[in-house]
Amino acid sequence: MPGSSKSGGAGGLPSPPHTASPSRPLRPSRYVPVSAATAFLVGSTTLFFCFTCPWLSEQFSVVVPIYNGVTFLFVLANFCMATFMDPGIFPRADEDEDKEDDFRAPLYKTVEIRGIQVRMKWCSTCRFYRPPRCSHCSVCDNCVEDFDHHCPWVNNCIGRRNYRHFFLFLLSLTVHIMGVFGFGLLYVLYHTQQLDTVHSAVTMAVMCVAGLFFIPVAGLTGFHMVLVARGRTTNEQVTGKFRGGVNPFTNGCWKNVSHVLCSSQAPRSLSLFVHHRCLWIYSMLIVYIWLYYYPLKQCVELQSSLHSKSSLEMMESQSCDAEPPPPPKPELRYPGLSRGHQEQHTEESSLLSKAPPTPTMYKYRPTYSSPGKNHTALTHAYANQSSQQPGFRSEPSLDGREAPGERGGGGLGGGGDRPGGGGSVGGAPGSGGGGIPGYSLGGRSYPSFSDPTVLSSGGGASRSSSVRSGSAHNAAHISEATTSTSYKSLANQTPPPRNGSLSYDSLLTPSESPDFESAAPDMSPGRHRTPAPPPVLGYSSPYLSAQLSQQRDAELHQPSASSVALLSSPHRAHYLRVTSSSSPPPPPERERLLQESHSHSHHSHSHSSRPPRFSRPPLLSDSAAPHHYPYRTRSTDTPLAPSTHPPRSPHPPPLGKSLSYSSAAAAEMQYRMVRKASASAGGGGGGGGGIQAPKDEIQMKLLSRTNGQPRSSLSSSGSTPSSPSHPISMSTRPGQAYPSPGNTQSPAHKLGGGVKKVTGVGGTTYEISV
Amino acid sequence: MATEFHNLQELRHSASLANKVFLQRDYSDGTTCRFQTKFPSELESRIERPLFEDTVKRLNTYYAEAEKMGGQSYLEGCLACATAYLIFLCMETRYEKVLKKIGRYIQEQNEKIYAPRGLLITDPIERGMRVIEISIYEDRGSSGSCSGSSSTSGSSAR
Repeated sequence: MPGSSKSGGAGGLPSPPHTASPSRPLRPSRYVPVSAATAFLVGSTTLFFCFTCPWLSEQFSVVVPIYNGVTFLFVLANFCMATFMDPGIFPRADEDEDKEDDFRAPLYKTVEIRGIQVRMKWCSTCRFYRPPRCSHCSVCDNCVEDFDHHCPWVNNCIGRRNYRHFFLFLLSLTVHIMGVFGFGLLYVLYHTQQLDTVHSAVTMAVMCVAGLFFIPVAGLTGFHMVLVARGRTTNEQVTGKFRGGVNPFTNGCWKNVSHVLCSSQAPRSLSLFVHHRCLWIYSMLIVYIWLYYYPLKQCVELQSSLHSKSSLEMMESQSCDAEPPPPPKPELRYPGLSRGHQEQHTEESSLLSKAPPTPTMYKYRPTYSSPGKNHTALTHAYANQSSQQPGFRSEPSLDGREAPGERGGGGLGGGGDRPGGGGSVGGAPGSGGGGIPGYSLGGRSYPSFSDPTVLSSGGGASRSSSVRSGSAHNAAHISEATTSTSYKSLANQTPPPRNGSLSYDSLLTPSESPDFESAAPDMSPGRHRTPAPPPVLGYSSPYLSAQLSQQRDAELHQPSASSVALLSSPHRAHYLRVTSSSSPPPPPERERLLQESHSHSHHSHSHSSRPPRFSRPPLLSDSAAPHHYPYRTRSTDTPLAPSTHPPRSPHPPPLGKSLSYSSAAAAEMQYRMVRKASASAGGGGGGGGGIQAPKDEIQMKLLSRTNGQPRSSLSSSGSTPSSPSHPISMSTRPGQAYPSPGNTQSPAHKLGGGVKKVTGVGGTTYEISV
Repeated sequence: MATEFHNLQELRHSASLANKVFLQRDYSDGTTCRFQTKFPSELESRIERPLFEDTVKRLNTYYAEAEKMGGQSYLEGCLACATAYLIFLCMETRYEKVLKKIGRYIQEQNEKIYAPRGLLITDPIERGMRVIEISIYEDRGSSGSCSGSSSTSGSSAR
């Protein structure tokens, strides 16, 4: 949890990946005490077990090491829980919450607790009046419920949720130190004639360490025993809140003790939970894609490139023209979201209870199978000039098709993905029927993705329900329809730039019709309509890549996998190249959305992109805080929000960056390999670059950098793919700059800029672009 | 004016968020989780007072049940200690079970009572158990003066 709180950090507005959260710089010094404590604890105990315990177990009984082992285990367990458990962080308040409080709102609000007046102070960082016993920790930058203190030895706040573990840690550590010291003393007393041996020396050293730490630890334990008996927190004791007065929070000594030791574990706020689950799922996806699909793809593509080169050329030319279909219409998406919301509950609870490692992948697997079929069909179609071109169509449409096919797919981006993901994860605890979505990124797209019922249902789902179902049937139908259309359009016209930009537009304008034919005229207008979608798209791309990887995996298992892969790889490469150049801020967007989805610790947000907009660097807010005025200075916060991009957690950016850079290198390598393999054809390059379709958009983004080389080689070779790719990258590169500033501002303008925020059941908020 | 919505989907499709009401915590008995049953003025024209109070009281009893220190929570604690807290990986705590029940209850209340009246209750867990958020929706078709922005005052809801 300390890590989470740190990462949650400042999150408000999305900031570019390179910018570290200004208010939460990485401070390695924070980790020194906890590292030292861990080292001493584990090191000393290990030495004790290795050097002292063998003789003790022989001399006295085997119970001695067992007892020490159990005690040490208890110490470790409580230490870990105290360190990693969320202390009871309050999520940042949504900006709606304080709308009724204006500049004249007081800094303090008084509430009567058992006849005693208690003041609740306004927290300018978290944007609410701090509940009684809540305090804002400046180290963690969170308001913590029942705040006790910030313990540097565990590098975590001690609050309502983990006070018990901290207290038990202290108790057990005292007992453990006493045991180690006592048994070490016993050993030394029996070996007074052999004190120069290694065993004795180590035992004496361990005794010294134990003795050294015993005094402060025992003192702290005694102090907390008194606090528990009196029903006070360290914060209250140290600040002297109830000095000479009456403590309104005490229930008597016995009840206070039983409350600390016997009460049920308090829940953590959903948004924090969602964040962790999001990060975990996301990182698992990335790892899975990298470790599993990359070598497979490489093999398959090499294989395919070595196959019929003529077919490869033909496919490439088609791929240049056949861009992914634009995402589905928003109206179609909307019902899907609504329906998916209902499905949230069941899948939320199931999601939480069984912690699926990669729900998103599971979701997209059935969808992916359809491209396989399509690819096969495409091969035949092309050869036979049939109207069926599903395979080819589906290949580039993997990203775009997700949207039409699944509604929550990539094209939907923030709208679908976010609601789906966040909801399932976050809503699990209370989901039952309440559909607690928690904080997701933007909206909670997780449930839509990972709803097991939807995933398993597969076919038969309507377009709207395909958001969550990702049914193979749906995808197949849609892709077939679109591919047949696209095939016709391909046959009829082939202006490469237009087609190239189609992919860009389809990526950036999820609201565009999935009809491929209509995509062509939609190009230029679509491109200009992208202000809102790009962030959405950027967010969706990682899931798109996950989808792609899933589909690719399914595809590979198809009977005609090899030929399919042969066809698909060049297209995908080309498609990816285009999309990479056209999707500039996927990592920051993804990070932003990840940030949004979780933590309150640093974001003032609830369910949507509002938090990023809302939060500001706490330093600024606190410095401007009402220290000088009796009233909350609300105005100082708001203007800062848009200008100062609240820092975001460092976690997502590094992940994305490292992946992107390494993927770019890998993509380039692969491209070169494919190029060599199909050197004679000259068309291999078209698909060669950045072939990793399933990889994230980050990779795609960096593929644009590698495009320089492939493109030049392409153009030098004068192959067909080069012409479409060249203008595409040219046209999309300028566009690259556009979404970046737009992204940072998009959360603020999202509501006004054609994106509708709708709160669903349980407060799930969906942002639906209209 | 009372707007009729057949279900929550319709609510979301045709309604725009007009206002949000926040029910604050009731700290009169310490830090145990209780919410004020004071009837907000913005809801006067939207929902009947007994229904609203019944909902909040029911929620309060659920939360009191969750935080009750009884045999079950004690055994849970002992079991957790004995297994070095690994039991939490498999088992749901008592609080979480009650939270699920609360979530289901809120969902049911929303569908039966609040959504037909253009209201939506948000589970307090999303706000860190600090407030119960009740969103007031205006029917887009029926009211032209409704505002989707939450910054407007409650009067716009009428």
